[in-house]
Amino acid sequence: MSDSYVIIGDGIAGASAAETLREEAPDAEITVLTDEGESLYNRILIKEYAKGKLPEAPISIHQESWYDDHDVDLRLNTVVVDIDIENDAVHTHEGETFEYDSLLLAVGGTPQQLPVGNADADGIHHFWTFQDARNIKESVEDAEQAVIVGAGLLGIDFAAICGAQDVEAKYLMRGDCWWRYALSEEGAEIMHDAMRERGVEPVFDSGVDHFEVDDDGHVEAAVDPNGERYECDFAGVAIGLDFNTELVEDTPLKTEDGIVVDEFMRTNVDNVYAAGDITTFNDLILGEQAKNGSWGSAKEQGTIAARNMLEYGSEEFEWVSSYSITHFDFPFLSFGHPTLGDDSVEATTAEGEWRRVALKNGKVVGGVLIGDLSPQSAFKQLMREGRDVSDQKQLLMEPGFAVDDLTAMTEQ
Amino acid sequence: MSLRETNKSMRLRRTGVVPSDARVRHYDELDEETQVTVRELAGRPQTAPEADDLDDGDVVKFTDYYEVRAR
Repeated sequence: MSDSYVIIGDGIAGASAAETLREEAPDAEITVLTDEGESLYNRILIKEYAKGKLPEAPISIHQESWYDDHDVDLRLNTVVVDIDIENDAVHTHEGETFEYDSLLLAVGGTPQQLPVGNADADGIHHFWTFQDARNIKESVEDAEQAVIVGAGLLGIDFAAICGAQDVEAKYLMRGDCWWRYALSEEGAEIMHDAMRERGVEPVFDSGVDHFEVDDDGHVEAAVDPNGERYECDFAGVAIGLDFNTELVEDTPLKTEDGIVVDEFMRTNVDNVYAAGDITTFNDLILGEQAKNGSWGSAKEQGTIAARNMLEYGSEEFEWVSSYSITHFDFPFLSFGHPTLGDDSVEATTAEGEWRRVALKNGKVVGGVLIGDLSPQSAFKQLMREGRDVSDQKQLLMEPGFAVDDLTAMTEQ
Repeated sequence: MSLRETNKSMRLRRTGVVPSDARVRHYDELDEETQVTVRELAGRPQTAPEADDLDDGDVVKFTDYYEVRAR
């Protein structure tokens, strides 16, 4: 009898696990359960669809026929309501039971709602699924003014969408710059200028105290904590994710801002694994538990999880992630954990080019590159090697920096 | 290894319209080596050896949309 594998979630983590299982275990029974109504799509391109730059078709990655062709039992619109760890089974909202030899949880997260009045009003959007993108596109096309909340990597997608659709927007930020945990004002100002060029005005030391709605319950303004009122036909909120751990609350699975897994993606239950945004994983490079929500990381975690489901201990997850913003005519890239560390070094290296590297115990743990991405590979290599650069950190700011530059210094 | 051992060379041509049947790849989906190639070719009249994870006709989303031409 062949082994059975159940995967909850058909995002890139779940789907890459299904692909790997099928490739490496041709006889395995594989079931993928997802609460979404469509199979795997490209989550990092849905913002391009919402901007009006891409048609729907290229966003899809796996047509439903892919699952048939690969003998994977895909169940769309299927909500798992209970995981019975003792009996190796999951139960769905329609009363179906799926038994497993090994289970993968790739259940991701859900966008957080602002804890303010009228935060659930019509016209206030969160951005996570393809259906969200469709709703946003439709809403933005009819809008003239917008408000954006959430000064991070997801919030800036709303800014780009408004800019691309000629909607004048106020981008309300709590601090004095965009992504203040990873950028200084100097670096952030490059991003602010790019927003302004597209009709999106950053508003600092602001935020939302409450939303105002019209008689139909549609948002018509955001009022910030200073009492300033910003009229809007549309609001985009991207303040973070709640990880979908409620599914495992009544199980022995350990959670800590996500489902805790080791470097093999295994939870504290031997035949239960997790991958993607949901994991709090043992980051071998950082030397501590970490989270990561990037596409590449989720894909790799799904692959690694599958290999260890087949043979535990066969492959570790050791990965330096990166996330780029490609909305503007200059590139932006963050890598590793740019908001962590006990030290940092930053510099403007040319007009419109800025970089910052975060260090912990003298080692590179992450950073941000704006304008010039050429040191990306070198910085990632330093992370992988765990190289102590504390005495030479200013060298990291040199245009054209290469890892060999450090070697030369060490040898002198 | 993400550069193919073929004699084909690749260039990127900026494109305004993305066809419905095109395979579109975001910069973040590409191998690190291919990312380097994309950065070097985007907006420049240069060629490079064909990357393993890009095919002729693919569209890459970087700071703009670029069509892959592999010959």
